[in-house]
Amino acid sequence: MPRQTPEQLAAFARQLYGKLDQLSYYDLLGVSSGTSLADVRAAFYRMSSALHPDSYHTLADRELKERLETIYARMCEAYRVLTTPEKRTAYARVLTEGKKRLTSTDRESKAPQSPEDSIKHEEAKKFFRLGMLSLGRKDLKGAMMNFNFARSFEPNAAVINQKLVETQAALGKPGGPGAK
Amino acid sequence: MSVVGIDLGTTNSVIATVRDGQVVVVPAAHGGYLHPSVVSFSADGLKYFSREGVARRIVDPKYTVYSGKRLIGLSFRSKEVQRAVARLPYELREGNNEQAVFVGPDRTYTIPEVSGLLLGYLRQCCELFLGDTVTGAVITVPANFNDAQRRATIDAGRIAGLDVLRVLNEPTAAALAYGLGQHMSQRIAVYDFGGGTFDITILQVEGDVFEVLATGGDTFLGGDDLDTALLNILAELFRAEHGIDPRDDQAAHARLLIAAEQVKCHLSEFPEARGELKNIAVSDQGEQLALRFHIARNVFETAIRGLVARTIQTTQEVLASAGLGASQIDEVIMVGGTTRVPLVRAEVERYFARPPRTDLNPDEVVSWGAAIQAENLAHAGENLANHAVLLDVTPRALGIAVAGGFAERILDRNVPVPVEQTRIFTTSADNQSTVRIQVCQGESRRFDENVPLGELELSGIPPARRGEIAIEVTFRVDTNGILRVRARDAATGAAREAAVNVRGGMTDVEVAEAVERQKSQESPMDDSMLPELGEVEELKD
Repeated sequence: MPRQTPEQLAAFARQLYGKLDQLSYYDLLGVSSGTSLADVRAAFYRMSSALHPDSYHTLADRELKERLETIYARMCEAYRVLTTPEKRTAYARVLTEGKKRLTSTDRESKAPQSPEDSIKHEEAKKFFRLGMLSLGRKDLKGAMMNFNFARSFEPNAAVINQKLVETQAALGKPGGPGAK
Repeated sequence: MSVVGIDLGTTNSVIATVRDGQVVVVPAAHGGYLHPSVVSFSADGLKYFSREGVARRIVDPKYTVYSGKRLIGLSFRSKEVQRAVARLPYELREGNNEQAVFVGPDRTYTIPEVSGLLLGYLRQCCELFLGDTVTGAVITVPANFNDAQRRATIDAGRIAGLDVLRVLNEPTAAALAYGLGQHMSQRIAVYDFGGGTFDITILQVEGDVFEVLATGGDTFLGGDDLDTALLNILAELFRAEHGIDPRDDQAAHARLLIAAEQVKCHLSEFPEARGELKNIAVSDQGEQLALRFHIARNVFETAIRGLVARTIQTTQEVLASAGLGASQIDEVIMVGGTTRVPLVRAEVERYFARPPRTDLNPDEVVSWGAAIQAENLAHAGENLANHAVLLDVTPRALGIAVAGGFAERILDRNVPVPVEQTRIFTTSADNQSTVRIQVCQGESRRFDENVPLGELELSGIPPARRGEIAIEVTFRVDTNGILRVRARDAATGAAREAAVNVRGGMTDVEVAEAVERQKSQESPMDDSMLPELGEVEELKD
């Protein structure tokens, strides 16, 4: 979309601002529920071209600016939900209940605490996460290295030591579970 | 009236503008285009900037402020500031509202004031060069700067008499300067290794839209650390020759550090550096001692290999958080002077398995993007050829304190801005009349492991049993990355909206006073204010 004139922007705000809560994310971005991720992105980028606050920076009407920004913020929300697979699934459920927004109360129940929560030292935590990433890639040596780094920052964290033992065991058994 | 783009760096700053559709970088007083981010205060009230300030790091370290960007917008009690205090030769103290303030020869200065003085100097350089007044500016900040740091940067701009059109993320500015994505969709990694910090950002660029997919970095890793590694090599050589450790003497240390930086630049172009540094320290007999040295590039590279590896480690982590691998990146852009170091380029090339882009000057590329965006904003509404839409994300998760010492997240990190999110909370005691909303930034589930940003109070809640009152808390982050928090009693509709009273920040009243003070003290600048630097011998190959 090309840059909009102030009149076009005002008309746009009049049309959408009042009924923002009645529009689904699909309506807002002008896509359908089957639209692929890449096409959702393309639609959002088109909208952004015309409606990102930077494109009406010089607009004098503050109230109009505020309204446009609220509309655009909702489009950002739509984009984020529709391009995150888990959120998109959750949103499909919400829509069947007649709601138009995925709000926090509709969110999946609180995530369980992550294992690294018990690690105090920031560096240890960082290397622990890297170790877990390595494990995910089945890179046992990399995992060993990162867990060892983690332990060097925090020697007494049970969770690190446990992972070290597990990884060591997997490394010792080539062809065993988890090995390359 | 002109608008400009300013890359306000930890070590150097660059200011640029667009003239007749071309980016023009404003030259620095002593040649080149980098203005060292240094302000030196003298007892007679004069202030020295840029390279003149750098010279005074040796003669007047106590009143010469550098690396102000490491302190801006942070609480004095934060570990970053405490760490800086331990390293810096000038005195910092805790001021109002947990701010770090610099103890100058005449009075104390808040950090936004010091940065404001520097920005004012840059503005004057630009006005002198253009022969035109400068009114508005886009100022760049690291992508991982938090709300408070962005706010303090805007305050600094205001103190310098600038209308801050936007604070822009540095990597986005760099991508904009390269003008990528015009005709296709590309994924770009911006590897920014500057004087004081390292940042890595992944962008998706398509047509005129630039979207930040993920960003991360290390605020305590930069070219300065490479300088320190070289300084240690030089100091050991000096000690071997004279039996004195020059690091024990502040002035000798400062001289050696300046030399180390020059040796580093030399080693970036040549396989070895040799030379003589005169007057490094004074012996017990009162005689001036010189250092003769000969350092091969590979000695330097051995010393910095671990530092460079850390940047690759962080890069890998940020890519993983975007669900990407190195092979899915179409283009790598190099930003920051430290990317001139051959080992840095080699390691980046090895990791991404492609040569990085270095065709634009890595020191200037961010200011280019800022200047382009300043021009875009000043002419918003017109259909410019190179208008761009920059989609930024929240650098960190944002949440509030809840019972049990936990933090309840309201906004995730890496969420496109602007964004507005509301969550509903209840009161935790019977007949609670006031709720205090403590805002924090960070990913930890424990409140005290995150960075506290500030707080907001909603009072006048009617008596009710605990849990019966619903308080809606709305977080709104604008395109500058600035957070506003609204708390609303759902039953009565009573609401309180505020920019969070940021700890470590200046109050609006303080900023207004500083703006006035700066206005009344400003004097036009002329070339006579720019004496020569002749402290350090040039290196000879």
